[in-house]
Amino acid sequence: MKPPLSPPTGHSHGLTRAPKAMYVYEWPVRVWHWVTTLAIFVLAVTGYLIAKPLHSVGGEASDSWVNGWIRTIHFVAAYGLSVAFLMRVLWIPFGNAHSREIFWVPLWKAAYWKELLQEVRWYGLVKKAPAKYVGHNPLARFSMLFMFVLGTLFLIFTGFGLYSEGTAAGSWQRALFGWTSSFAGSSMTLRTWHHLAMYYVLAFSVIHMYLVLREDIMGRTSMASTMVSGWRLFRDEGTDIDDAEEPAIRRGIEAEVRAEEAKEPVPSPAAQGKG
Amino acid sequence: MARVETFYEVLRRHGVSRRSFMKFCSLTAASLGLAPAFAQNVAHAMETRPRVPVIWLHGMECTCCSESFIRSAHPLAKDVVLSMLSLDYHNTLMASAGHQAEAILDETRAKYKGQYILAVEGNSSLSLDDPYCFVGGKPFLAQLQEMAQDSMAVIAWGSCASWGCVQAAKPNPSNAVPIDRVIHNKPIIKVPGCPPIAEVMTGVVSYVLTFGKLPELDRQGRPKMFYSQRIHDKCYRRPHFDAGQFVEAWDDAGARQGFCLYKMGCRGPTTYNACSTTRWNGGVSFPIESGHGCIGCSENDFWDNGPFYERLVKVSGFGIEGTADDLGLKALGVVGVGLAAHAAASTVKKLVTGHNKPPPPAGKAGGAS
Amino acid sequence: MTKTANGFDLDTSGKRVVVDPITRIEGHLRVEVNVDDKGVIKNAVSSGTMWRGLEVILKGRDPRDAWAFTERICGVCTGVHAVASVRCVEDALGIKIPENANTIRNIIHLTLFVQDHLVHFYHLHALDWVDVVSALKADPKATSELAQSISPWAKSSPGYYRDLAGRLAKFVESGQLGPFKNAYWGHPAYKLPPEANLMAVAHYLEALDFQKEIVKIQTIFGGKNPHPNWLVGGVPSPINLDADGSVGAINMERLNHVGKIIDDSLAFIEQVYVPDLVAVAGFYKDWLYGGGIADKNLLSYGEFPDLANDDSNKSLLLPRGAIVDGKLTEVLPVDLKDPEQIQEFVTHSWFKYPDETKGLHPFEGLTEPNFVLGPNAKGDPKKLIEVLDESAKYSFVKAPRWRGRPMEVGPLARFVVAYFSGREDVKALVDSTLKKLDVPITALFSTLGRTAARGLECLWAAQNLKRQYEKLLGAIKAGNTATANTSKWDPKTWPKDAKGAGFCEAPRGALGHWIHIQDEKIANYQAVVPTTWNAGPRDPAGNLGPYEASLLGTPMADPEQPLEIIRTIHSFDPCLACAAHVISPDGQELAKVTVK
Repeated sequence: MKPPLSPPTGHSHGLTRAPKAMYVYEWPVRVWHWVTTLAIFVLAVTGYLIAKPLHSVGGEASDSWVNGWIRTIHFVAAYGLSVAFLMRVLWIPFGNAHSREIFWVPLWKAAYWKELLQEVRWYGLVKKAPAKYVGHNPLARFSMLFMFVLGTLFLIFTGFGLYSEGTAAGSWQRALFGWTSSFAGSSMTLRTWHHLAMYYVLAFSVIHMYLVLREDIMGRTSMASTMVSGWRLFRDEGTDIDDAEEPAIRRGIEAEVRAEEAKEPVPSPAAQGKG
Repeated sequence: MARVETFYEVLRRHGVSRRSFMKFCSLTAASLGLAPAFAQNVAHAMETRPRVPVIWLHGMECTCCSESFIRSAHPLAKDVVLSMLSLDYHNTLMASAGHQAEAILDETRAKYKGQYILAVEGNSSLSLDDPYCFVGGKPFLAQLQEMAQDSMAVIAWGSCASWGCVQAAKPNPSNAVPIDRVIHNKPIIKVPGCPPIAEVMTGVVSYVLTFGKLPELDRQGRPKMFYSQRIHDKCYRRPHFDAGQFVEAWDDAGARQGFCLYKMGCRGPTTYNACSTTRWNGGVSFPIESGHGCIGCSENDFWDNGPFYERLVKVSGFGIEGTADDLGLKALGVVGVGLAAHAAASTVKKLVTGHNKPPPPAGKAGGAS
Repeated sequence: MTKTANGFDLDTSGKRVVVDPITRIEGHLRVEVNVDDKGVIKNAVSSGTMWRGLEVILKGRDPRDAWAFTERICGVCTGVHAVASVRCVEDALGIKIPENANTIRNIIHLTLFVQDHLVHFYHLHALDWVDVVSALKADPKATSELAQSISPWAKSSPGYYRDLAGRLAKFVESGQLGPFKNAYWGHPAYKLPPEANLMAVAHYLEALDFQKEIVKIQTIFGGKNPHPNWLVGGVPSPINLDADGSVGAINMERLNHVGKIIDDSLAFIEQVYVPDLVAVAGFYKDWLYGGGIADKNLLSYGEFPDLANDDSNKSLLLPRGAIVDGKLTEVLPVDLKDPEQIQEFVTHSWFKYPDETKGLHPFEGLTEPNFVLGPNAKGDPKKLIEVLDESAKYSFVKAPRWRGRPMEVGPLARFVVAYFSGREDVKALVDSTLKKLDVPITALFSTLGRTAARGLECLWAAQNLKRQYEKLLGAIKAGNTATANTSKWDPKTWPKDAKGAGFCEAPRGALGHWIHIQDEKIANYQAVVPTTWNAGPRDPAGNLGPYEASLLGTPMADPEQPLEIIRTIHSFDPCLACAAHVISPDGQELAKVTVK
């Protein structure tokens, strides 16, 4: 079952006039998001404990497996994260336009940078009202790509690199990721990188959670619930334009969304949504 | 009448039978990818070939590699030096000095072009502009490059030759570099360690001499036979690591019971070497067995991955120095404070302007639905 | 002809002979001499030709790690810098180590003395006295008789020597002489009969096999050798005799292993090393060159504190003290922290001071490399340096002075200081040996005297190794098993600013480390090492150091074959990696060195 890709409104209004609700995140994206959330949480806690183990336990070594469990949980969570990430990447050709947003940004387009600046101004509390985006706003896309996607990829590569040190010679982990420690110069350096990268992604997570909550409270669109239901709700319907140049910019970016939607079969009107 | 003793004679003198010798030649031929018929050629070569000359150079180093080498228990260093190969130049052991010593280098280059092994202990500065090591009045860099040029293969002894080691630690005042930065186009076998284990050193040499080929190397140029696993992977204290039993302080109850030294900064989990299996000095012990963590002396940059008694390396960035945790938690703190400030400012702004309040349902713009 | 401040005549008019590299030493040393037409050395120049800058590297690091860095100054006398380093950190931070830690450190350090002296005698020095090729002419039976007449050592049968002679002949016949190639065989300065040569060759090989056994003591307590592990505040190896998990600690098996090695070492030294030394010395009694300043200025920091945390002469098994101006019976006190006593000069070293006429105490020391050849030097440092100019800078070794005087350090200095401090154990060893050789005490102040003092000290060290081992057993028996004091392990317990000095007697002589700790990090670090004292160049006053002085007056049979030079230089047991070091305590950036 494929949910509708487009809100029940026509395009004739342009995107300056927002619909009340739009279907943004398809279920694979949502599943991925929450699997990743859980994995990152587990990985950060266990990872921290791997670098700084708990206080020693007594008794015979064969009676306990505390550190072993912590590491095993770390590895399981890491596989969860990695498989989810892989599935998420595989979803790209099947998913809607929003499913692609976080994997690339049109850095070469002046319009993108202008929009990015608008977002910076909004978050910098300079601009009075935010623009509304169906998917990620330009700044979100930027941080999603450079902090989250690349940060997570880095963690996956370095993580498997470290993991491959304990796997047998000839294992696929070693074949695929064994190069990472020589790339880093030494295994210890790789560990340090992996550890620092955790904080990088954690920093992203904190900012991400804050902005989502803030947007939920102060912005005009739903955030947290969108990742649960897939639908983005727009709580006001007033104009979101308070800068004259905005529509032009928006059209530049959102044209792609439209082009994408144009390719899709005729959008069926959503049954959901009020009114 | 001087006659050159051949490799075959040396083997015979060590009690290797003719039969074993032929078998060994077949294996060598096979391992070189040659047809069985070539075993005869290999045998002929071995029977007539003199002992392989070895030129052992000392650059910027501390001679711990040479000292380790003479500790070898099997084979004994004296057998390696006097029977297996011909150690024609070795600063610390050779009888001659001055120009008589240097003459051996020229003679070897001429007489054994492409047939001698160059063993290098220590390293050199990157360029002749760094005048920090001279041998025989020549910059060591020049001597090293000259001798490498006509060698068959190069062995990089120890962490100095392999990685740069202590003199290359930050800020590397003598501009020391590993030898593969200044020797190109020659196979280089890296045998890192500060020093390498004696039996690993003689093991590498005797492998080359016995099997007539260079050992298989890993990505970083180290023989896989001794450097493909971490000390941690074969550490007899590994069960304590998995159990979560650690030495928490020196000489505590855990230390006395031989618990894992991870929390005391042990670098076993990040160090590729044979210490936990081959052990040191004829298998007597190795650092962890004697109660001190591994300091990672066979790893690249291990001096700059300190302090040795912390699991987490001190790194510096953005003007602060600390472990990844120090840096990471500080960064998270900064982010947290930033976000809190942002939240506060947003609230204030909202209160002041009241701008972003969601308008009443009946907005001025026409409903989209 | 000029006279130096310390009374040596120099004449640079004769033929210049360059010996570079001096082999069978640690590191890179160059010696240049001028000989007169009779071949007598009239001028000598000693130059260290390598520099690595370890103290610069230490800046900003954790003081608890310093021992590992400094240990890598030298792999031959491995551990000596670690001893000095942990001591200077403990001195700075006021850490008291447990009694057992002190005893185990003594055991580890004495083990080095035994092994290092043995290796020096047989593998670095013997070939200066022993003609390997002459050994081919030896009669195995006569060799056996000679061996049995001087020692009860079991490996001395005619068959043993016949076998060895056969193998040696085969080796020489092979035409591939390996390490014995191009040497000075047949040189007139070799005086041993063929049988003594063969015996020495046998022991050369036996010692090569045996030395690796001695160091296993270091492996047991320090995990490996070379470069065993140390610990600020004690030793890393815990003692656990019979409680849970004792297989993972110093237990009875480990202690028995140590005990056996000590007994074997003592036997080898008593039955092989010392008899060989006396036998060889007997043939060279009239070659008493090479004294240099040995009869004038000698320095020892003292070593082996019998009581933990006490470095007074009442605790030190070898005493601290200095003898100057030839006043042998007057042993002066030495203080490492007194800025008037130890100073380093760089007038003739490839380093830079703001005022090079003055010396600096290690706490204030400066080292900035400054490689410039003097106006009379010949050659191009990017290709080949032919001749150095000793009127200018000519060495990477600094010139340390004690109250303005060059001092000889090493086994001879330690033994003479101990002898004239009235240490009975040392006196007995020295007197009996002198009597055996029928030479006066002045014979000690020579190349051979240095070599003899080293051999006697090796025996002394082995005997004391046994005593320290028994002391450890006694302490464990009394229930004392502590090996580390961790009360000041955490850097947060340290003072903001602390300075400390760590002394050590390395096999090669007096070694000092000075540390300045600030904000839990090394603010500066400095080492003044034995070979710096011995191999150092001239000072602004023109005083010759021990190496240079010791070569003067030595006749060379053939200046092209520098056997006499390397013989005397080897008697000091040079360690150049140690000597050529650098410190930049003020944290100044090192200037880029320009090569002319």
